[in-house]
Amino acid sequence: MKQEFINRREFLRNLGIAGAGAVLAASPWLSAFSEVTLTGKEKCRLGVIGTGSRGQFHIGFLLKNSKVEIVALCDIYRPSIEEAHKLIPSAKVYGDYRKLLEDKTIDAVLVATPLNTHYRIVMDAFDAGKHVLCEKCIGYNIEECHNMYKRHKETGLIFFTGQQRLFDPRYIKAMEMIHRGVFGEINSIRTFWNRNGDWRRPVPSPELEHLINWRLYRESSKGLMTELACHQLQIGSWALRKLPEKIMGQGAITFWKDGREVYDNISCIYVFDDGVKMTFDSVISNKFYGLEEQIMGNLGTVELERGKYFFEDVSPAPGFLQMVNDFENKLFGSLPFAGTSWAPETANENNGEYILGERPNTDGTSLLLDAFVEAVITRRQPIRIAEEGYYASVLCLLGHQAIEEGRILSFPDEYKINYLNHKPQTQLGV
Amino acid sequence: MKDTLITARRKKHEIITFLVCFLVANLANIYAIIAYHTPAVELITSILYVFIFAVALYIFWCLIRLLKYEIRILFSRK
Repeated sequence: MKQEFINRREFLRNLGIAGAGAVLAASPWLSAFSEVTLTGKEKCRLGVIGTGSRGQFHIGFLLKNSKVEIVALCDIYRPSIEEAHKLIPSAKVYGDYRKLLEDKTIDAVLVATPLNTHYRIVMDAFDAGKHVLCEKCIGYNIEECHNMYKRHKETGLIFFTGQQRLFDPRYIKAMEMIHRGVFGEINSIRTFWNRNGDWRRPVPSPELEHLINWRLYRESSKGLMTELACHQLQIGSWALRKLPEKIMGQGAITFWKDGREVYDNISCIYVFDDGVKMTFDSVISNKFYGLEEQIMGNLGTVELERGKYFFEDVSPAPGFLQMVNDFENKLFGSLPFAGTSWAPETANENNGEYILGERPNTDGTSLLLDAFVEAVITRRQPIRIAEEGYYASVLCLLGHQAIEEGRILSFPDEYKINYLNHKPQTQLGV
Repeated sequence: MKDTLITARRKKHEIITFLVCFLVANLANIYAIIAYHTPAVELITSILYVFIFAVALYIFWCLIRLLKYEIRILFSRK
């Protein structure tokens, strides 16, 4: 296999950004990519806990990285582990993650199990001295997230979360532009993730319903907030470099009344200290507007999923066209038979520009995994990555709590850590 | 079908007519640039629109001449 090294300069050059300083200020976790390729001959011995669809998705990327060796697989659902084992026949197979953690030769684990199992697995992994990459949302409740973050700080072990947008080149470049003030003052962030589907997986026998469709039941998931919102809410703190203070929301099951327990229609508002707001909406009975994060400044808008930006001031149409347009409007404007204008509009159509100069073709997952492997080999936790993951999860869970309680929540002081505009109430070493 | 003869005088006349239309279209563009406060470079960048407008003016002028010609024939027959 060809040896591939991660080189920060090369990565930035691919982004089309000359200076590393500005990018690292906006996305400091890119420090995971070393300036020099010292780690070329070292390997990260990895165990994958949870080999379902997401776990196998990650395995697909990890197999392309010559610095990682997947030595163990663990799952309680036999068909999943059999499929994963076909991808890596040399890996040892476990049905109990605790046995996997006993293997002293394993450096790190990737946890891609149902939400309600993350906490126990991650805490045990830290106790066993393993570095951890945990899928989002990291915890089933805020306390779990806080404890996991604390344990990471106490042990000094590497802790990544499945926030792949942090490594997506178009997001990195857009954030650098936002921080540079290219789009002016950001006053609103709109995020939404819409689908049209029941979110169910086929179940071979009824007793496996909760195991396979764990996303639909409260005992194992908090639905759209924990499965989708995590990715998008993290955009707010990245763009604004602060965390929201108030959270409100509403949720209901309005379409998929099929026995599920989690909402299929939700809406949350996150308000920052200066009144700037960030919204998250999701319905799974209409996919017309799909998935997007819209960052709106007084000078321009960024649509991150499309990978485009649009400036507010679009140069007007040529004077000649404006004149023809005005003449046509005067001539036909008051006539009842005059239909849609044939004349061009006076403003040019705003098609925007691609952030990276071309249509996006990656979502950052590959780079996230590469960075994790690099961090495990170098034993260096990239700056802010655990904190971004922690707050993304906590914001999702607070949104869920606001929906459940039907009231406006303030960010609880006891769960604030020393990050951005938050300061911990008591010094807990975090 | 019989041959049609276009005289040199007619050709010259039509070319001059089109040039007048093109001049009028350019004058309209200059007016628009001043009235709508747009950059003077539009004298060049909008040349395609100006040309299309000149063709439209020329066609319009041809239609008027044709109409005039038809009316004259109609009255001369009477």
